Amino acid sequence: MDSPLIRITDLKKHYQMGGTTVRALDGVSLDIEPHTFTVVMGPSGSGKSSLLYLLGGLDRSTSGQISIGGERLDQMDENALALFRRRTLGFIFQSYNLITSMNAAENVSFPMQFTGIPNAERNQRALQLLEQVGLADRAHHRPAELSGGQQQRVAVARALVNNPSLILADEPTGNLDTASGVTVMQLLSELHRSGRTVLVVTHDPRMTRFATHKIYLLDGHVVDEDEYQSAALEMSQGSNESLEIK
Amino acid sequence: MKFFDLLRLILGNLSRRKARVALTAIGVVIGTAAVVILVSLGIGLQKSATDQLYGIGDLTLIDVMPTYGGEGGYYVGSGGGGPAISLSSELQEPALLTNSALEQLRLIPGVKAVIPRDYLGTQTVIRYQRMEGGVNIIGIGTNDLSTLGMEAGQGTTDLAKGTVVIGVMTPYNFYDPYQRPGQETPPPPELLNEQIQLIVIKWDQDGNEIRKTLSLRVTGILNETGGEADYSIYLPLDLVKSMNEWAYGTRINYNKTGYNQVIVKVEDPNQALDIADQITALGFQAISPQSFLQGINNTFLILQLVFGGVGAIALLVAAIGIANTMAMSILERTREIGLMKAVGATNRDVLSIFLGEAAGIGFIGGLGGIIVGWLAAQAINVIAIIYLAGQASQQGGAPPSVAVYTPIWLPIFALIFSTFIGMLSGLYPALRAATMIPVQALKYE
Repeated sequence: MDSPLIRITDLKKHYQMGGTTVRALDGVSLDIEPHTFTVVMGPSGSGKSSLLYLLGGLDRSTSGQISIGGERLDQMDENALALFRRRTLGFIFQSYNLITSMNAAENVSFPMQFTGIPNAERNQRALQLLEQVGLADRAHHRPAELSGGQQQRVAVARALVNNPSLILADEPTGNLDTASGVTVMQLLSELHRSGRTVLVVTHDPRMTRFATHKIYLLDGHVVDEDEYQSAALEMSQGSNESLEIK
Repeated sequence: MKFFDLLRLILGNLSRRKARVALTAIGVVIGTAAVVILVSLGIGLQKSATDQLYGIGDLTLIDVMPTYGGEGGYYVGSGGGGPAISLSSELQEPALLTNSALEQLRLIPGVKAVIPRDYLGTQTVIRYQRMEGGVNIIGIGTNDLSTLGMEAGQGTTDLAKGTVVIGVMTPYNFYDPYQRPGQETPPPPELLNEQIQLIVIKWDQDGNEIRKTLSLRVTGILNETGGEADYSIYLPLDLVKSMNEWAYGTRINYNKTGYNQVIVKVEDPNQALDIADQITALGFQAISPQSFLQGINNTFLILQLVFGGVGAIALLVAAIGIANTMAMSILERTREIGLMKAVGATNRDVLSIFLGEAAGIGFIGGLGGIIVGWLAAQAINVIAIIYLAGQASQQGGAPPSVAVYTPIWLPIFALIFSTFIGMLSGLYPALRAATMIPVQALKYE
């Protein structure tokens, strides 16, 4: 068995909201192996997005350790984090986050502007990736001219443009219809099969069929599948207890 | 991030918001144009004034006078916009302009010629045919007045024995002493190559008038200088010295008494002030038109700063516009900033992009401003010269050659300044963008 790509130890993320301390993550510890497809499941407010943003170095933890590929993210300064993201990570967001004034190819090549790769090479790589996600004929269309599924496929191509070893996806199918959602998940599955580590946070149980590993989060804690399922059952039976905010 | 990638991204971002960029840049256009026009006007006024001063006095000449000791000597300094001459209350050692002192002056680096001169210190009359006139008579220690930068409008500047070179206004001093009332005033005589009589007058102890007449041929008429030379006639110094000796009845030994005045000609007008200082350090008094020019220049520098300041206020207003546009832009693009950071842009990259965009607005506005400013300056120049030429012809003065002058450094400076102002205006919004926490930027609604 490989040594873990991601090691999280006693990770906490607390923040203040209207005088109340919200414990988004409250002592999470877990390992994620390389070349796995991990789905982090949890209802809204369980802390799964917080976990993803901390793993992506986009936010700072309250305490705890995050290590990716042996590098301690919690000890990096802003500049080192930016370079780490550029080198190692690819992000996919629920709302795509495409730049509306740029066409699909420009959006895909956008992250490479910060790497110093020559322009011609950037364009070539963007077109190649758009072809890979089945959007070669849409390269010069702007986001407004693309469907939600197509926009998310552009975002997937963009996430791959710097050839990252770890793909982090935040509710990638959240804004998509079922068919488009399946297409995107299949794309992510292909990325996993090509040797990348994929971590998806979602509350959609259908996504687990592509996963090699599943992590369940409830109220900022990692729980086992049984506990998660019983909580989900309670929720579906109309329990008055909120699972979302502790 | 490579410079050309940054530039391409900045240009792309600016072109995405053409209308807003154009509207913001118009403020910079107005500010920069105001700076260019007003500073050009200040420089034009200065140029006009100094050109006229160049006409009056040769800036390569320094008038040197002896110091006779005691209090209250002149001190001529090179500094500041204050008076070119100031009175010194310090006790001074006498410093006479003897021949050995002249040798000392000649040894100062940059000195081209040291020429003594003296005035005829007694009453004189010049006569041509029936006409007579009064005149200023200067003896000069050179046989060629061109050494002093003088030019002959007619004839020569050479001074030979028995000849005289006259100032251009000298003929206008002649009048007919025998003119009867009602009789027409004769025109000024044409004196070139004519013989004139120089009558030197002195009185004996009993008060009897004694006259001595010299016959001189006019070999040259100098060009107009606007100064003393126009109303003077120039003779060899030895001749004036001998006439002074005759008039005063005593021998003059310049080695003992020194010359009353010496003209120092320097090679480069820019050295004149420095050399004047060196002459002053030797104990003599030195007056250079350059020191007046420097005073004028300092005054005009203040004027230009005031004019530039007025223009800068317009630029300041434009700067606030840029700051506002950038702040709005950053607010609208918060998620884009979050994305930039998520895909690996460093804080410095983000700062460079937004500072570059602000500088770009300043640059575009600056470029437009110098074009508008230059065109407006040319238009003002044409109108002002026509108007001032009309005024000058009515009042008999020389028409100005230029009213508004835009030196090459001004548009370059204006462009750099407006770009800098743009960058400065964008600094705070850009810093805000650069230091945004990525997750907050990405979640911004």
